[in-house]
Amino acid sequence: MIDGALTNLAYDDLPLGTVGAPLSVKVDSDLAAQLAGPLGTRRPVERLPAGVLPVLFLRAVRSSLGGIPAGAILAKQTLRYVRAVPLPTVVTVTTEVEEKVVRRGRPFVRFRFAVRGPDGDLIGSGSKTMVWPSGPAIEEGR
Amino acid sequence: MTTPHPWVAVEQTVRQAEIDRYAALSEDFNPLHVDPQAAAASEFGGIVAHGPLALHPLLLALERACGGTLPSGTEVEITYRGPTRPDDVVRAELDAAWDEPDGTTVLEVSCRVEEQTVVSARVVVPAGAAT
Repeated sequence: MIDGALTNLAYDDLPLGTVGAPLSVKVDSDLAAQLAGPLGTRRPVERLPAGVLPVLFLRAVRSSLGGIPAGAILAKQTLRYVRAVPLPTVVTVTTEVEEKVVRRGRPFVRFRFAVRGPDGDLIGSGSKTMVWPSGPAIEEGR
Repeated sequence: MTTPHPWVAVEQTVRQAEIDRYAALSEDFNPLHVDPQAAAASEFGGIVAHGPLALHPLLLALERACGGTLPSGTEVEITYRGPTRPDDVVRAELDAAWDEPDGTTVLEVSCRVEEQTVVSARVVVPAGAAT
């Protein structure tokens, strides 16, 4: 486990509309190769494989929050592939808290992501909806 | 046929080694994935894999069906329906596919562990990209 991987950020302390600091990630051929085939294998590729986008989203949540809350659960996700990108490349991921809602007694947070290439062009986007491990419904003694 | 290549099911065996590898790649060391004691005390009762790890074989199968790279504008809407645990074998399968009148291709796909669906997804490939 790496230091700073976790946060105890409470649901109520995560304001709607919060925009995280942009995260810059170098996607080299090694990272891409590890995500271009079954995990545990390396398959050389020349372009960003589809499996990179979910990894970038996870890194961006961690980066923007200073960690991922222990016990957070991924419920839904959307991915939009805008442009194929040759490797290696440096991408910038931005994160925004797009929605907070309590459904059936569970607090959900939806993050919106945008991934841009070195020229600033959008290369991918999407969202993650997570069940938050702390929140009003939980604290009210469900 | 709605994609350039036939859908071929892709399997991924999810061992703790793959979970640890995905944690390192994604920098997500949530104890649910990497700490057996903490995971045992959670609602899951033990280690579960990162959701996107269970999605991974689906993305591989989709790339193959599209000829190696997803066409620009491809959208994937995913619902995580159940946990994936160490030693599960996740299999990405095509449930349905059709072409809409506007030329877009829609795929309904699932990742299953035995008969249990752990991930379901709807994929929309833009007109002209998948024919």
